[in-house]
Amino acid sequence: MRIGEIVETMSTGFVAESFELNRPPPLGGLVVVRLPGAEASAGMDVYAVVTYGQTGGLDPSRRAVRRSTDTVFDGAIYQEHPELTRTLRTEFGAALVGFAVDDQLRQHLPPQPPPLHFSVQTAPAGELQRFTDHLQYLRLLLAPYGQVSPLQVLAANVREVYQHRGQDDVWLSAAAREIATLLKNDHESLLTVLYAIDPGQVPPSVERGQVPPSAREGAPA
Amino acid sequence: MSQRSLGLVVDGTFSGGLTVRLNADTSTEQLRIGNFVVVEGERNRYFSLISDIHLKATDPRLLADPPRDTSLFVARTLAGTSTYATAEVQPMLMLEKVDESEPRDFLEERSGPQPVRTIPMHFAELREATELDFATVFGSEGGANFAMGTPLAMDIPICLQLDRFVERSNGIFGQSGTGKSFLARLIISGVVKTKVAVNLIFDMHDEYSFDKETEDGHWVKGLRQIFGSQVLIYSLDERMARRAGRNVDVTLKIGLNQIEEADIVLLSEELNLRQTAEATIGLLRDSFRDKWLLKLLQMNGEELNNFCQASGAHPASMAALQRNLKRLSRQEYVVDEAPFSTLDDMVEALDRGKHVILQFGRHNTVLDYVLVSNLVTRRVRQRYEDKTRRYEETQSVADKPRQLMITIEEAHKFLNPNVAGQTTFGTIAREMRKYNVTLLVIDQRPSGIDDEVMSQLGTRVSGKLTEQRDIEAVLTGVSNRSALRGALASLDTRQQILIMGHAVPMPIMMRTRQYDESFYRAMGARVGVPRDAEVDIRDLFGDD
Amino acid sequence: MPLKLGRISQQMQDMAQTMAHLLPAEENLLERARDCLRSIRADALCEKLEWQSRQPVRMPWLVAMPRSAPQAALPTGLADTAAPPSVPSTFSVVGVDASSIPPDRHSSVHYYLVNVGYALLTYGREPDAILEASSQLCFRDEDLYVFPEKRDVPIEGTLLSARMEVEALHLLQQALDSRPWPTLALLDGPLILWTLQSETQEVRRALLQGFLSTMIFLKETGVPLAGYVSYTGSRDVANSLRVWLCQGQPNECDRCASDDRELCLALAKIRDRELYAFLADGERSQLFGSSSQILEEYGEQRVDFFYMNVGGEIVRVEVPGWVASDADLLSFVHAAIYDQCQRSPSVPPYPPVLQEAHEQAAITAPERRLVEEMLEQALGQYGRPVVRSAKEDSKRRRGV
Repeated sequence: MRIGEIVETMSTGFVAESFELNRPPPLGGLVVVRLPGAEASAGMDVYAVVTYGQTGGLDPSRRAVRRSTDTVFDGAIYQEHPELTRTLRTEFGAALVGFAVDDQLRQHLPPQPPPLHFSVQTAPAGELQRFTDHLQYLRLLLAPYGQVSPLQVLAANVREVYQHRGQDDVWLSAAAREIATLLKNDHESLLTVLYAIDPGQVPPSVERGQVPPSAREGAPA
Repeated sequence: MSQRSLGLVVDGTFSGGLTVRLNADTSTEQLRIGNFVVVEGERNRYFSLISDIHLKATDPRLLADPPRDTSLFVARTLAGTSTYATAEVQPMLMLEKVDESEPRDFLEERSGPQPVRTIPMHFAELREATELDFATVFGSEGGANFAMGTPLAMDIPICLQLDRFVERSNGIFGQSGTGKSFLARLIISGVVKTKVAVNLIFDMHDEYSFDKETEDGHWVKGLRQIFGSQVLIYSLDERMARRAGRNVDVTLKIGLNQIEEADIVLLSEELNLRQTAEATIGLLRDSFRDKWLLKLLQMNGEELNNFCQASGAHPASMAALQRNLKRLSRQEYVVDEAPFSTLDDMVEALDRGKHVILQFGRHNTVLDYVLVSNLVTRRVRQRYEDKTRRYEETQSVADKPRQLMITIEEAHKFLNPNVAGQTTFGTIAREMRKYNVTLLVIDQRPSGIDDEVMSQLGTRVSGKLTEQRDIEAVLTGVSNRSALRGALASLDTRQQILIMGHAVPMPIMMRTRQYDESFYRAMGARVGVPRDAEVDIRDLFGDD
Repeated sequence: MPLKLGRISQQMQDMAQTMAHLLPAEENLLERARDCLRSIRADALCEKLEWQSRQPVRMPWLVAMPRSAPQAALPTGLADTAAPPSVPSTFSVVGVDASSIPPDRHSSVHYYLVNVGYALLTYGREPDAILEASSQLCFRDEDLYVFPEKRDVPIEGTLLSARMEVEALHLLQQALDSRPWPTLALLDGPLILWTLQSETQEVRRALLQGFLSTMIFLKETGVPLAGYVSYTGSRDVANSLRVWLCQGQPNECDRCASDDRELCLALAKIRDRELYAFLADGERSQLFGSSSQILEEYGEQRVDFFYMNVGGEIVRVEVPGWVASDADLLSFVHAAIYDQCQRSPSVPPYPPVLQEAHEQAAITAPERRLVEEMLEQALGQYGRPVVRSAKEDSKRRRGV
């Protein structure tokens, strides 16, 4: 499913504008950008993990202001101010974690950043399963890349994948061990991540957070 | 066959052994000191022992502030990753790898494991030993290979090479209650069965010949019952000889004429002898030859004085010596004069392949045991020296004396540093290999035995030892002691032993085999055969 | 930094002091002015104003002519107010705004750029928003001159502003598509393009032509149009009061000896928005007609206005006569504007539809530079480098 369009791109990741206001893909979610092949070369699927979501004024110089009243608040604000859907935008960042060419899965940065204005899609379940069967990509998530702490992104990714893999406990413990190895010299960080991915701590219902309803129905392509 | 990986080699020296980072899923509690493990090098397979286990953490902060009240998930993740364990592994033997595609020739065509000459590179895999590994190192049962027991966690036999075993003096150690006499019975049975040597057993507590109630309350068979007439029973106790169903072949008498100066010296403590006793005995011996003891004991006060004046001996010393040595003549089995022929016959019996158990019966004090054992052994030794000399002259196979293994208990009485230089046993332990006589010493306090003797022991079989001095004593002259030290202390009291030395390729911890019906049967005893039902009933209910 | 901030700061202090002293007196006069407003009957004022307009000497001020209410229920007194009606369940508001890159006298190429933004917001069960902008680069003679064949009267300054209004209204016309619910067309600024007053009649007519045709179009489509004038400086109503008070000739104040002279002079300083500060939240004033001369060019399209309190500010709303005389349309305009202002997040409020239209229309400084660069590039490709005046060039280089 197409969920956004790349509006900023670089070798380590990209920023995409979400098609749905206030509904960026979940933090840590796996997304894919499909690049068509040229004559000789095969197409490439570039995989990335969502590192942040952000909603603000379309024009960076316009800050959002308070709009709620006693009777109009939350979702109703978007009903009463239809222009918000045109003046706000939701963008999300994603860190590149690998790519696939000719069914060859690689978990390192692709040779080129994905092109600007290309579509970002959520990775289908099968692809997610296949990609996350290997865990080398987790170390790419530890590189600093944005406002959200890499540790939280890492944890979010593990939680997301865990859910999408049908609460695959075997996978979770393998991932946890991989992370423990990556963070072997930073105990505090390690615990931060482990607490955040501990399936016993947070009920899954909270995981699928309630985001404000989007007023943008049937967004133009 | 499972080949469970335990970890990877990450460090090491040839002299100090290898350090292995244990896999995350390997719990330290799955390992134990002294475990037989295998390191798969690129070219060689290293048969090794675990000598130590360390707990470590990648981040020292974790140790300073361990996570408390943490969830199972976090704890499980940390275990083996942030916190991990290393094992110190001591390679003992190595085996060059061959083409795995020809497994049929695996065991036969190669020279067996060799002493280690190198160590594997980084990241060589440490794994649990498989049955094949055990078989490769310890061989299979048969011939002189005698199954002593099984690995701690496996059910395949580990063999003692008895032909090599009897070539040298050996020791069985372990604190009391670890089943030393049972071990001795096991080994002696093996020696009898495989005919690699004949046995002379000084059976202080009547444990070897007939039924014996074990500490946990059931009855086990004696060697005579298992091996029948192959085993001759000599006894000092006439009463014992008269007991039904326990036929003693020979009742042994000791003549005062047979007792020598050295026997007395050995008993200084038991007989409460003064330091002058030795000199006094020397004077007596000069005058009376082999009748010195008889003469001394027969002297009245006047004769004593006369002898003192004539020889220059101190009268008080003489009197004290006489008084003390009178104890000997009061022993029931001591007669004024006895021929050596009984003992010589015994040696001949041994030479015919019979095994001899000398029972002490009621005469089981240290005095009796030391006196008789030393005296008998001295005679045996003399005869063996003679035989060996003749064999060297004729070089005829028929003249070759049979390998003899002499079993003594309370070995420190004969082999402590003070007397080891003088007793026959000390001599045998140090040099009698060449006369085809070796010892099997049994003791619970190996630290009481002379170091030089200990270092001469070919094979040591030890149960649990807790005293550090005893552990050190058992390991005298052994390389890679650190691995074995931990192993010795960690043995279970029952049924677990460590064998190291000449008769095994490498030190090995094992569970000893059961000394039970199936064992008797394996030793060729007539057990469970219908027509012997009567014997079985007797075995079950004891004598009426 | 040649600006002597230290000195200015002192002057600012003086200014603040002076103004603080002024305020109480004005408040006092304001109340008297409002009393006056309340005391006058609309029809009486109308008579006086009509009488005055028939005098040979032209009135020196713009005055507000009270309009008769389209329905009897609506205010007839000058100080009468009308509470905001409620908006329909579904309705749209379309707003337009324009901005420009004006012609640059210092550049060798002569052009200007008009960017018109519009916002079409629909409220109700299916809210919707369309925000668009339309830009036009104007460089042909017919764009650059009011009379292109003579290359006379360049379009710049107020003419450009008027041109932008025309363009804005034109885009508004294009943006409107038929919809089954009421729509308000809102313009940022007055419908009375009084700035054209100083131009010649030919110029006025040429420029107003498009404006008026759109107004006619809107009338025909039934879409009410309103000009929203925030922070209005107009004094039309105050001036009408002066005329009411005047005993002699409005241009002969020097000779005036009336008792109301003080009030009359005070009224000269009072703006209508101050006068109507008494309007309650959402209320609008009486409808007035304007005496602006430019309206003579509007023909049938007369423009009326009223003041209203949009919640924090008194604004002037200008509507075409056909809206003013239709009670339904008028109350819809009133209601929709108040609704707009209530939806505004800012204080004082500003109709979101105009804000968004402005956002669409606005040309940022970087965009201005970008346009300039792109144009230079395009011209450069055809061997027409852009030459700037020495003065402009020196401003750009600013070397020291």
